[in-house]
Amino acid sequence: MEYIQISIDGILYGSSYSLIALGFSLVFGVMRRINLAYGSSLLLGIAAALWVENKLNFSIIFFIPTVLIFCSLSNLYVERVCFAPHNTKAGVVVSMISSFAIWMQLDEISAQLLPDRTHSFPSLEVSTFEFGELFFRGDQILNIFIAFIISAILFLAVYKTKYGIILRAVSNSADTAKLMGCNTNLVNSLTFIVAGVIGGIAAFLVLSTESQVTPLFGFWCTLKGLVAMMIGGLGSLVGAFWGGLLLGLLEAHLSYQFGPVFREITTFSILLIVLIIRPGGLMGVNIYKDLKSRDERI
Amino acid sequence: MEEKKILEVEGLETSYDMIKALKGVSISAITGKLTCILGPNGAGKSTLLFTLAGILNPDRGKVIFEGEDITNQQTSNLVEKGLALVPENRLIFPHLTVQENLLAGAYARLAKEREIVEQDISEMYARFPVLKERSSQLGGTMSGGEQQMLAVARALMSKPKLLLMDEPSVGLAPLIVGEIFSIIKQLNEEGISIVLVEQNASKALEIGDYFYLLDQGKQIFGGSREAILKENIIKKAYLGESAG
Repeated sequence: MEYIQISIDGILYGSSYSLIALGFSLVFGVMRRINLAYGSSLLLGIAAALWVENKLNFSIIFFIPTVLIFCSLSNLYVERVCFAPHNTKAGVVVSMISSFAIWMQLDEISAQLLPDRTHSFPSLEVSTFEFGELFFRGDQILNIFIAFIISAILFLAVYKTKYGIILRAVSNSADTAKLMGCNTNLVNSLTFIVAGVIGGIAAFLVLSTESQVTPLFGFWCTLKGLVAMMIGGLGSLVGAFWGGLLLGLLEAHLSYQFGPVFREITTFSILLIVLIIRPGGLMGVNIYKDLKSRDERI
Repeated sequence: MEEKKILEVEGLETSYDMIKALKGVSISAITGKLTCILGPNGAGKSTLLFTLAGILNPDRGKVIFEGEDITNQQTSNLVEKGLALVPENRLIFPHLTVQENLLAGAYARLAKEREIVEQDISEMYARFPVLKERSSQLGGTMSGGEQQMLAVARALMSKPKLLLMDEPSVGLAPLIVGEIFSIIKQLNEEGISIVLVEQNASKALEIGDYFYLLDQGKQIFGGSREAILKENIIKKAYLGESAG
């Protein structure tokens, strides 16, 4: 029975990884670039929203949209600074490295906004459910539910709507999409804004279950989101969802067996194994095979 | 007969960073005619088309489309004005289905005229039956010839007045090349003005009305088919002066 309880806890916890991984995956899927500053821009969004909330003292109903707005703004800032000026092929590495630099800047600003090491965070008043001998935390149930809904909406939007076609066209080949008259710059900016909104929701849910923010939250987001995305599959929305759950599940079991230190060890070990066995991720495209088949076919 | 020029290019100069790829090219395309731009590798043919389509910005010179100066305009504007480019190596979207590729081609109209776009897709299927068979197949899984047809159909989805085609024959089997060229000829007969860039000079000579010859970023000949056949200039351009 305790294994079932641990599995449930792990999966529920993993759903927050899923949400962050979805944001990563969206950006990677459209631009084929990794935004290392993603977690930090979410932290900045949270810090700015908390700062405003401190000044104005408004209720949680206004707090949530404030978080989303600040998260998308800081994400848009990262796009404008690190990604928009380097939209050539050679710019792939440049934008990753510059996003790493911006990470430092964003973390500094967040530290200025929230000078205390830890800062309390408004939590949702949701009770715990009992089901036989099993316990479910209400806020975590909400978390997995929202993660599922958002990945389903994103999946439908990307694969079933006309905006999705444009998004995937840009992802396939930005230059060719430009030839069709598509404003790729605008598509990229919108992608970052949507990723900011998703990340904002994820950050809010995670922090409200923990009731506190620490300056390490940005790094935590980037690390877990990136690993969950790479496990699930690069640029695969469904993969990001399952990757997060799988990561949460394995972390919970291994840290229960071998002690809490194993949480981080698990994260990196899984990443290593996946990268060796299946570099494109479990549900992503097999990148090497894909490239080869594209060159072969004439 | 008065001939209207759909496209006029005056003294166009374009460079990639430090390298000047076009050193003053002046061409014009007549409405409803098929204009071919020939020349060896590195002559600047593709650069010329990219500049016309607004992907590259020229350093100097003017591009006039239907009497309007379109130099330095954004590609998205040009597509709406009726200029479409079929890029070299087709560059279809490999992970989109054939149908989605066509929808992406109608990008500018997608939001407003969804139903008309659907009709246009059925028209494309009537014109290229092979695309209908493959409509739900991923673009990247088709053969080169089919991909080329898809690329042409996708460009036609933007309802162009002037179609720019960059080496449609490259990498295709001779039989397929013939098929593609007959499609080009047919489109031209239906009233679409075409600027065709080709390395396959003999094929281009069969269907073109007007010819320009580029070499090392400069234009070395311009004129009708009769003129180009008389001057034997193609041999000179491809094989060097002594061959002439």
